[in-house]
Amino acid sequence: MDIIRVENLSLKYGKQHIFNSISFSFEKGKMIGLIGPNGAGKSSIIKILAGLVKPECGELYINELRQNSFSELRRYCGYLIDAPSFYPYLSAKQNLKLISKLGKGATNLDELLYKVGLIDVGNKKVKHFSTGMKQRLAIALALLRSPDILILDEPFNGLDPNGFQEVVELLKKLNQKGVTIIISSHLLNDLEQFSDAFLLLHKGKIALNLTKNNLMGNKRKVVLTFENTPNERACEYIKEMSGFFENSSKVVLHLRFNEIADVVNNFVKLNQTPINIETLTVLQEKFMEITI
Amino acid sequence: MIKLLQIELYKLFSSYRTGITFAIAIILMLIINLGLYSDGEEIFDFLLESLNENFFVEGNVINGYLIAYLSLSTLWVHIPILIIIVTTHIFSGEFEYGTIRILLSQPISRLALLIAKITSAILYILIFMLLTAIFALIPAVFLFGKSDVVIFIDGIQFIQEATFLLRYFKAILFATLSMIAFSSMAMFFAIWFKNTLTAILISLGILILFTLLQTFVLGMFSSLQPFLFTYHIAKWQLFFVHDIPVKSILNSVYFLSAMSLFFMGISYLKFYKMNITE
Repeated sequence: MDIIRVENLSLKYGKQHIFNSISFSFEKGKMIGLIGPNGAGKSSIIKILAGLVKPECGELYINELRQNSFSELRRYCGYLIDAPSFYPYLSAKQNLKLISKLGKGATNLDELLYKVGLIDVGNKKVKHFSTGMKQRLAIALALLRSPDILILDEPFNGLDPNGFQEVVELLKKLNQKGVTIIISSHLLNDLEQFSDAFLLLHKGKIALNLTKNNLMGNKRKVVLTFENTPNERACEYIKEMSGFFENSSKVVLHLRFNEIADVVNNFVKLNQTPINIETLTVLQEKFMEITI
Repeated sequence: MIKLLQIELYKLFSSYRTGITFAIAIILMLIINLGLYSDGEEIFDFLLESLNENFFVEGNVINGYLIAYLSLSTLWVHIPILIIIVTTHIFSGEFEYGTIRILLSQPISRLALLIAKITSAILYILIFMLLTAIFALIPAVFLFGKSDVVIFIDGIQFIQEATFLLRYFKAILFATLSMIAFSSMAMFFAIWFKNTLTAILISLGILILFTLLQTFVLGMFSSLQPFLFTYHIAKWQLFFVHDIPVKSILNSVYFLSAMSLFFMGISYLKFYKMNITE
């Protein structure tokens, strides 16, 4: 069942059409990646769904019920929009407390700060926060009032590797509890790993609408580098796999995601262990195929 | 709506700007009072020179009430500046911090947010004006005592001691309305330009221009006077005319109220249609 369905959405800034009559939907309980090159309209879609930008036209359905305006969605959603912004003269906790009063439902702020790793600095003024800390606070803000849907624009910006991992784990947990999560990000590699579906926007159109299962069925380019020119048996195996040599020690193969490990093992058995394995994710390949 | 107003007031009174404007108003009033108390003889002699030439003055002409009136007269150009520094920031601060995105993505209507912000601005103006009035009056009465007041507005005005306080607080109330009207214009610019400094500069530019036009009472400019808000703002002094010209004051009350409502209305139209793209 679709938790959000948008039909015939058009947006114009001045005379410029950002998108013209596009339709898309997000399935309930899924984690969806919203991707596209800069200027494709991802942030504009998020801003429309947040009620910040008024579209020229378009219909919104929440749980298959038609809504009067896109602003209705704000009752169900938690948002992280663009760069995180807060009242700098207030503490993290004061910022959350202030915003929590604007809607229904209580939230344990300490628990929320703990979840995003800010419990120790909850009483510190936001003006003293680093970019990563602000990002964590923005995620906490999106989680206020335990929303059914999370819409996050570039949620991993400014996070260190630990922070990134913590946020991913947090999002996975929320998703397991049934929260629908829509993430706009340029980190295609990571997005491919934890998202269930992908929506690729390009030049104001939905260029691709895929589920992870569709994606995993696709072959991807894998480049194996060997120390020397591969031995005869390995060359035969490469031929068998329809591979080709990029140069004397670099071989290009097209493999499904679950085939990569087996193929590498086979090379090891043939005494030809690759010293390097490069692979573009299918998402990256599709992205480049469509946008370049 | 009440929650929104509470939030706006909390933000307003947590901001250091608000505290600074209150502190400046209080300090200025105290400095004027103390300055006049310690070195004011020459100024008072100068002020009383023309009066002494024509009248035999008996009693305490230089008293706390007169000083309170003079303090407000001295600062009536500075007070609007202090006020719009805070009131414009109530709106443009949200754009500058980027917090407008947070506010408008919450389940609240834009009209409710605008009303809460305007109400908090009005409450701030009211508190600011009351503080200014009290800190102009109390130290002055303490240092100079109380008596009847002689004021120069369209000639010499004699105000009885017993009627002064009522006139004084009516004048403050009128001045508060003036500041609300001026702030409404400044807040509209704050929404339009999404920038505090630009809104302040444009508002002050208009204030200076209108004050200049008002000063040229001859020729084409004289017919403009009733349409200049500065002309109406200056009417607070009429509360210290012996026979208060009620009709003239009421006209100004209508003008300033209409001006406030006009700018609040177009602020709503602008704010309602605004796309938050940054």
